[in-house]
Amino acid sequence: MRIKEHPVLGIPEKGKAVSFYFDGDIFSGYEEEPIAAALRAAGVLVHRHTSRRNEPRGIFCAIGRCTDCVMIVDGEPNVRTCITPLKEGMRVQTQYGVSAVPEGGDANGTL
Amino acid sequence: MEHYDLAVVGAGPAGLSAAIEAAGAGMGVVVFDENAKPGGQLFKQIHKFFGSKEHKAKTRGFQIGRELLEEARAVGVKAELNSAVVAVYGNRELAVSQGEKIKRVKSDAIIIATGASENMTPFEGWTLPGVIGAGAAQTLMNLHGVMPGKRVLMLGSGNVGLVVSYQLLQAGCQVVAVADIARTIGGYGVHASKIARCGVPFYLSHTIIKAQGDGKVENVIIGETDAKRELIPGTERCFEADTVCVAVGLSPMSQLLGQAGCRMVNEPQKGGFVPKVNEYGETDIKGIYAAGDVSGIEEASAAMIEGRISGAAAANAAGFMPDGEFKARFEECETSLAQLRRGMFAPGRKGAEQSETDEGIPLSRALLSKGYIDENELSAFPGFRDCSALSETYPVIECTQNIPCNPCQDVCPKGCIHVGNDITALPVLNPKASCSACGMCVAACSGQAIFLVQPHYEPGYALVTIPYEFFPLPQKGDKGTALSRSGEALCPAQVVDVRDAKALDNTRLLSIKVPSSHLNRARFFVKGDFANG
Ligand SMILES: Cc1cc2nc3c(=O)[nH]c(=O)nc-3n(C[C@H](O)[C@H](O)[C@H](O)COP(=O)(O)OP(=O)(O)OC[C@H]3O[C@@H](n4cnc5c(N)ncnc54)[C@H](O)[C@@H]3O)c2cc1C
Ligand code: SF4
Ligand code: SF4
Ligand code: FES
Repeated sequence: MRIKEHPVLGIPEKGKAVSFYFDGDIFSGYEEEPIAAALRAAGVLVHRHTSRRNEPRGIFCAIGRCTDCVMIVDGEPNVRTCITPLKEGMRVQTQYGVSAVPEGGDANGTL
Repeated sequence: MEHYDLAVVGAGPAGLSAAIEAAGAGMGVVVFDENAKPGGQLFKQIHKFFGSKEHKAKTRGFQIGRELLEEARAVGVKAELNSAVVAVYGNRELAVSQGEKIKRVKSDAIIIATGASENMTPFEGWTLPGVIGAGAAQTLMNLHGVMPGKRVLMLGSGNVGLVVSYQLLQAGCQVVAVADIARTIGGYGVHASKIARCGVPFYLSHTIIKAQGDGKVENVIIGETDAKRELIPGTERCFEADTVCVAVGLSPMSQLLGQAGCRMVNEPQKGGFVPKVNEYGETDIKGIYAAGDVSGIEEASAAMIEGRISGAAAANAAGFMPDGEFKARFEECETSLAQLRRGMFAPGRKGAEQSETDEGIPLSRALLSKGYIDENELSAFPGFRDCSALSETYPVIECTQNIPCNPCQDVCPKGCIHVGNDITALPVLNPKASCSACGMCVAACSGQAIFLVQPHYEPGYALVTIPYEFFPLPQKGDKGTALSRSGEALCPAQVVDVRDAKALDNTRLLSIKVPSSHLNRARFFVKGDFANG
């Protein structure tokens, strides 16, 4: 769901194409765009599940204010993916509460 | 400790303008912005602005943003990005968070231009992925080239909801509906009409009941409300949609000012808690100013002027700008601001029910509730003239509310359109002037409310020229369907000309041939057979 050519803005200016991992699978995106934009373009909407009620959350404000979009990035939890630039080889994981696996799951081997 | 003559918080239109003004007068100025890029909301605003020439009317927001950045660079404004100001103290010190560190900065004057934050309205399912703010939609599509969703329901019919709906269409998304609990559309009629003729339906007096789906938004239910804003049972309707875009208003982000100890007042007309300021934007703490949305929600054009005033005032107070120059600067800015603050959407009149224009013409009820003007209401307005008997081309101006805007008058080389000195007056067609069909007014009209009509193009056929800002661009010779103001399929139509030139600034002009009987109705074009929808 990327805009190929925009009637006013023309062809979107993008960094170089990069690959990254989302929950272990290989995805592609563009360097320096927010991780959340690359995920949205690939059709991923759920970024995390809340710890108490296990409810899904995704992008809401897209400017780093609401923290709905936080994920685990290169092992670090609570990273606001809407303002964190994508890099080649980044490992991005759905966040459950503050960890990378659903409650009671196995923390090993998810990457 | 670092020390500046002036520290500006926020590099949006207000903050940048303030910094330019002050640095131009010789002050040492730093601007902090928490974002990685300067410009605030401007780079998301891709439509042509209203106002007059000195407000940069008919220039698109992001281009104004680029101009401001260049000006700021030229006068030596220092910008520190990724730098959130976390506290401002009454002794004019700031705490700035940069990465892991927090640094303290001292400044003789401080201008706070932190803008606004979006309001939220809770409803069942509002935390589901797929429910996003209007600002998020703009950020994704206009800054990052990513479509926010495929099928979007817009909640809110103020200017932000209307403008973002139009931008969604430009990005290639479908807008399934615009819903608002208010009884009438809150934003400019011309903005509403741009999306109504693309077929977007309006549901006024409607509230969102819920968004639902398995782990993300799959459908949305809205329902009609009564005069007490309560749901009328049985009026529910369901839309298949993957995105709900929320545009229910903005609130000034004035916390820094409150915390600094400035006197705050709650003013619903301005969007909430705002600092009490004088005519220069100065708070009750000497040397601390507020400019732009943080001191009352308005638009970018007003924010820029407020910024200029505060910047000049700070320069004057610190001895960088002589009194005479400051006085002249201030008066010029005040006049310019006053022009913007007139008309039906003036800060003091917002929300009030209005029934007629300043000229005493009854407002179009259809425009207020459905987003388009009824054909039979048009003849009451001075931009309309029934010239079906004429053989030459003439403009039809469907601009029927008092909004601060005059590019139509400005660009016409033939003097066909008159707005006058009061830029909120309705544009009037001059019956004596003769139109050369150059199309400049069609492209320059920020509201895309001007059409050219040639009644006798071919026997039985008329030519209608419309502004067009979508891709794929129809080509000369394409056959398709003409749509009415409400987006309804009217009749077969054929594109006989497509004009694109630098001066049109990406508003292409499509001339379509339609049966003469539809000359006053055809206002949009889609490819595809008329009979098969
Ligand atoms: C979603 C949305 C859509 C809008 N659409 C339109 C439109 O179409 N047309 C129009 O004219 N107006 C529109 N507006 C109104 C818009 O707010 C004004 O036009 C204009 O941008 C206000 O200028 P400003 O400089 O006051 O604020 P902003 O442009 O919001 O700039 C404020 C800046 O301050 C920064 N900032 C905030 N807090 C801090 C802090 N603590 N430390 C450091 N930096 C900080 C922000 O990152 C931002 O860059 C829209 C607003 C929003 C939110
Ligand atoms: S088409 Fe050209 S000449 Fe005719 S009204 Fe518009 S600007 Fe004036
Ligand atoms: S017709 Fe004139 S005043 Fe009305 S929106 Fe267009 S340019 Fe502005
Ligand atoms: S979407 Fe709100 S912080 Fe990222």
